Amino acid sequence: MLVSKLREAIICLKNLRVTLPYPFQPAPPAEGFRGRLDLDISKCIGCGACVNACPPRLIRMTDEDSRRRIEFALGRCTYCARCAEVCPEKAIRMSQEFELSTDDKKDLNITAELLMAKCGQCNTAYTTQRIVDKLINQVAKEMGVEVSTQDWLKLCPKCRKVHEAQNIGEARI
Amino acid sequence: MQAWRIREPVMWLCEEITGNRKTYGMNLIGGVRRDIRPEQYPKILAVIGKIEGQLKEVINAIAGDTTLHLRLKKVGVLPPEAARRLCVVGPTARGSGVAIDSRVNHPYAAYAQVSPKIVTQPEGDVWARTLVRLEETLESIRLVRRSLEQIPAGEVMAEVKEIPPWGEGIAYVEAPRGESIHYVLTGPDNRPYRWRVRAPSYTNLQAVPTMLQGNSIADAPIIVGSIDPCFSCTERMEAVDVKTKKVRVYSREELRQMSRKRQ
Repeated sequence: MLVSKLREAIICLKNLRVTLPYPFQPAPPAEGFRGRLDLDISKCIGCGACVNACPPRLIRMTDEDSRRRIEFALGRCTYCARCAEVCPEKAIRMSQEFELSTDDKKDLNITAELLMAKCGQCNTAYTTQRIVDKLINQVAKEMGVEVSTQDWLKLCPKCRKVHEAQNIGEARI
Repeated sequence: MQAWRIREPVMWLCEEITGNRKTYGMNLIGGVRRDIRPEQYPKILAVIGKIEGQLKEVINAIAGDTTLHLRLKKVGVLPPEAARRLCVVGPTARGSGVAIDSRVNHPYAAYAQVSPKIVTQPEGDVWARTLVRLEETLESIRLVRRSLEQIPAGEVMAEVKEIPPWGEGIAYVEAPRGESIHYVLTGPDNRPYRWRVRAPSYTNLQAVPTMLQGNSIADAPIIVGSIDPCFSCTERMEAVDVKTKKVRVYSREELRQMSRKRQ
């Protein structure tokens, strides 16, 4: 009995106070910590891969007129970092930030707007300008063609199909 | 309080390995998302070595503490027959002398290679369950050591592209509180259609009425606490109209709207 109490007392005396002086001194998380989501808008092309991957489905993508809006309702974020993993442009990054207390959930929201590209033929906005630019650059690089000669690159999928069909038709004649 | 102090370095370790203290988010279809880097091995071994010593100190000190014995022994007794009848799992079952553990009975993952030991205590009281949990921490440290010795190098993730819809899966793992069972029905677009969880607290809570019998109200908190219940894992709901006794089923859309109402 007494031995046990003594042992318990020794454990307590040996360790004394172990509480960290946080918040008076910062307590940075370990490297690789998944904190608040950070969106680098200069890199985002608006492909929507994150929308698909997000388990709590907090990323919403809407097209209006000439803009594509991507909204992150981070109040529902589970910090899984799936969006950062699937992002082809590495525009999403999980920061080291964890002090996110707020009295208004909307403080945590992020909204990004991207310009839409218009089809060279029917003039409908079909995807973002950045996706088209990326596609054009890639095609130019892989096919080794002069981009200005390839009009079909600036067509929406529907018009491109028609364009393709006409090309085949002409080739047959 | 000393137990919390000992636990903290483990939380830091978890944060470093997985990216978070608690919500690890490590498992994905196809594998795990992060590998344990070689430079983390010595750190893990150092932390578990340190906590092993500290744990033994604490166990050594409280094992002979008669104040604790007076409070916890012969309180909330669950006899082995009752434990079997009520199908309790995990430390609750093992504290009543029922040697069950899905890691041993149905080895999954790499558990067959590290051969976990089942810790049991025959008495079935709160003290027995406490001892089982304490000894299991030491057993877990041994398992971590053995796993680190045997862990093979290689890919941690296989690429899975499309998940076929309307497939079913059921899995069990031995969680700290006992056997946890998950059922999934896959739906279109690579998403789950149904997900059903039977957490160990669900079965363990069924034993609480038996444990409470013959004890005073003051014993109730420690008895309920001794099975370490997770109420959020266990909650089940049925909406019944009191007047008509009719059971009402909420549609998925209704539930979604209700849960998002206060956003």
